[in-house]
Amino acid sequence: MRNVAPTKSNMISLKNELKFAKLGHELLDQKRNILVLELLNLVEQAVDHEEKVERALAEAYRTLEYAVLDMGKLKLYQVASAINIESNLKISQRKIMGVPLPVVDTTFEDYPPYYSLMGTSFWTDNSLGEFKAVVKVMGKLAELKISIMRLAKEVKKTIKKVNALEKIAIPDLQETVKYIENRLEENERDMVILLKMTKQRLEKKRLEISNLN
Amino acid sequence: MKYFVIGDEEAVLGFGLVGIQGLKAESPREAEAAFKAALEDKNIGIIIIEDKVADMIRPVVDKYIFTEQFPLIVEVPGRVGKDPQRPSIRAMVNDAIGIKL
Repeated sequence: MRNVAPTKSNMISLKNELKFAKLGHELLDQKRNILVLELLNLVEQAVDHEEKVERALAEAYRTLEYAVLDMGKLKLYQVASAINIESNLKISQRKIMGVPLPVVDTTFEDYPPYYSLMGTSFWTDNSLGEFKAVVKVMGKLAELKISIMRLAKEVKKTIKKVNALEKIAIPDLQETVKYIENRLEENERDMVILLKMTKQRLEKKRLEISNLN
Repeated sequence: MKYFVIGDEEAVLGFGLVGIQGLKAESPREAEAAFKAALEDKNIGIIIIEDKVADMIRPVVDKYIFTEQFPLIVEVPGRVGKDPQRPSIRAMVNDAIGIKL
């Protein structure tokens, strides 16, 4: 309970505050629900994409290994440095309840043929294709993972706020308002008694005066 | 914007095939240096980091994931495949917000 003087003006301002707190609680509750829904949706997608990336990556490494076995690492490095592919990344933003989330768009600019067909292994082509596939899904995965992290953080914050309002601020205000109300009523009753006593006394005085006359 | 990869030799070589630059990192010091170098280049939009490398410099990575807008950081399993001990996304979210999804 707050330590305030039990006056009417205090009560009115506290009541307004209480109304505001309740409104805030309602809004935050809605925000939390929306965020959690979005989060669920994203997690679903992310799990899906993660599996995809893992599968593609495993395949990519497997083919890479064959390529290395076939041609040797050094040769492969030479080939890799000659490859002319540019992976372009466009990152934009979208906002959910004020939380900025990234949106990733990957495009490739490639200029085949990348290397001489002589002396390079079939596995090189294969591995290149696999890694390209990995990168394609990777952008989306990055977007989802980062979005989830940020959303989860925001949800946590919102839950904290909701709980603080629900468990502390609102009951506290309610209690204070009730206390002031009680005190005011008590005062009123006191006043009534006081008035009655004064009236009785006055009456008595008047009687005495009239008796004297 | 571009990708950048930090991982072991195979990862760097593999992603090198599709024109993604990267740095090899096998010790925490190397990892930190590579991460720093990646952050300094403003043209890098997504850093692909192998999970065991990320584990070496976990606090630094986490700080960037949660606070900075750019670059985005994504952790991927390495050549040996996924570590079954690693918590899934779902578990991670549950831990983070303490609610069950």
